[in-house]
Amino acid sequence: MNYRFLALVSGLVVSAVVATAPVAGQAGATGARPNGSPPKAYAAPRTPDGQPDLQGIWTNATYTPLERPKNVTKEFYTPEEALQLAKRAALEESDQTEPGTVADVHYDFTQFGLDRSQGTMALNLRTSLIVDPADGRLPPLSAEGQRRAAERAAARKSRGGPHDSVQNEPLSARCILMDRNGPPMLGGAYNNDYQIMQAPGYVMILTEMLHDARIIPLDGRPHLPPNVRQWTGSSRGHWEGQTLVVETTNLTDKFAFQGSSENMRLTERFTRVAEDTIRYQFTVEDPATWTRSWSAEVPWKKTIGPIFEHACHEGNYGLYNTLAGARAEEKRAAEEAAKKKSPK
Amino acid sequence: MRMRRAVVGVGVALLLAAAPVMAHHAFSAEFDINKPFKFRGILTQWEMINPHSWFHFDVRDESGTVVSWMIEGGSPNQLIKQGVTKHTLAIGTEMTIEGYQAKDGTNKGVGRNLVLADGRRLFLGGAASSPDNKPAGK
Repeated sequence: MNYRFLALVSGLVVSAVVATAPVAGQAGATGARPNGSPPKAYAAPRTPDGQPDLQGIWTNATYTPLERPKNVTKEFYTPEEALQLAKRAALEESDQTEPGTVADVHYDFTQFGLDRSQGTMALNLRTSLIVDPADGRLPPLSAEGQRRAAERAAARKSRGGPHDSVQNEPLSARCILMDRNGPPMLGGAYNNDYQIMQAPGYVMILTEMLHDARIIPLDGRPHLPPNVRQWTGSSRGHWEGQTLVVETTNLTDKFAFQGSSENMRLTERFTRVAEDTIRYQFTVEDPATWTRSWSAEVPWKKTIGPIFEHACHEGNYGLYNTLAGARAEEKRAAEEAAKKKSPK
Repeated sequence: MRMRRAVVGVGVALLLAAAPVMAHHAFSAEFDINKPFKFRGILTQWEMINPHSWFHFDVRDESGTVVSWMIEGGSPNQLIKQGVTKHTLAIGTEMTIEGYQAKDGTNKGVGRNLVLADGRRLFLGGAASSPDNKPAGK
């Protein structure tokens, strides 16, 4: 952290807030910008076969939380508040942790350009990504949702400790799936980039991390049969005016988005609202989990490439090291216990 | 740092979710908080790979014997966007590495700080894309 970096953050944040304000405003209840002027009409360019052109490299990096903080009651920050918050979040992220703490057992994000303020970031005036319910928070769990959450917790416990076996490690550590993949696709700490490509009848979304190509047919074909379940489900798309609408079903109960069930039905909407911005909205319908449907929205900002292949298994020595570390600790603990039992 | 943060944060009583310092896996499970180290090493290989890059060093121990260490760093994806390539960092570069050793006791560690002989921190914050501040290690 240095003053040059602070200046960089300030510049980035100012431009991002200004650029994103109309996006936040258009989605507001009045449909107008926060300053009251009407939203500017933007028509996306067209691909040679006539689809609105969403192609390019985009990022959904954000400091905005999915759920509204409990001490916040409004839907939007003022640009000044958003600027202050983004500066503080950037400082905290680049500070990371205090030396000597457990969380400090980590490389320095800033040395690898991985803190969000070093990259492109569309700042949102919204106080939460969730736009519905109006309180910006996940709806209550349904009775079935509560029961399943308890069952999942019990099942996890019965499998032992988090490092007892490779299957107990999170999907991310096993290079299977990350929050960037979704769906829905939400940013994480870093590498929040996507490449959209369009061909007649198809849209392809490449997720940088973990390098997953999501191929979405647009030809009206039905979803996969109900017995076929996939990590990222079965996605089918169509155009509604300027908006690409993608419906996803056939998810698996091996992966739960915020506690969702395998029968979650997800509708995502991609609208290019400016040359450098896509408005990404999604609605989750899952009565087996929540008492009502809910929706969220996050801007995707155009960014630079290339996207380097995130070949996750290639250098995933960490998985081995973690398991080896856990076994070494068990051995040490057993030896100490044995010493205590039979002191010489 | 605390002072600057306090100045920036003043007047805003609203909280964002804490910025997660969370990578692809739990580093605290891989490395031991009770085994910090600091030594000088000569770079012998940089694996510019995902999910995390790995730096290989030759390190002279207290008895004068050269031993090999592997140091885990971050995903290289953003560095590549900033113009850093696997040739940016020359083999043979000397660095001071501060970090924590693997829990299994082998010569592996996480590189909390990688500092070049002239005191510059490796790849620090956007330096790679700044024309008057060439990528470290060149």
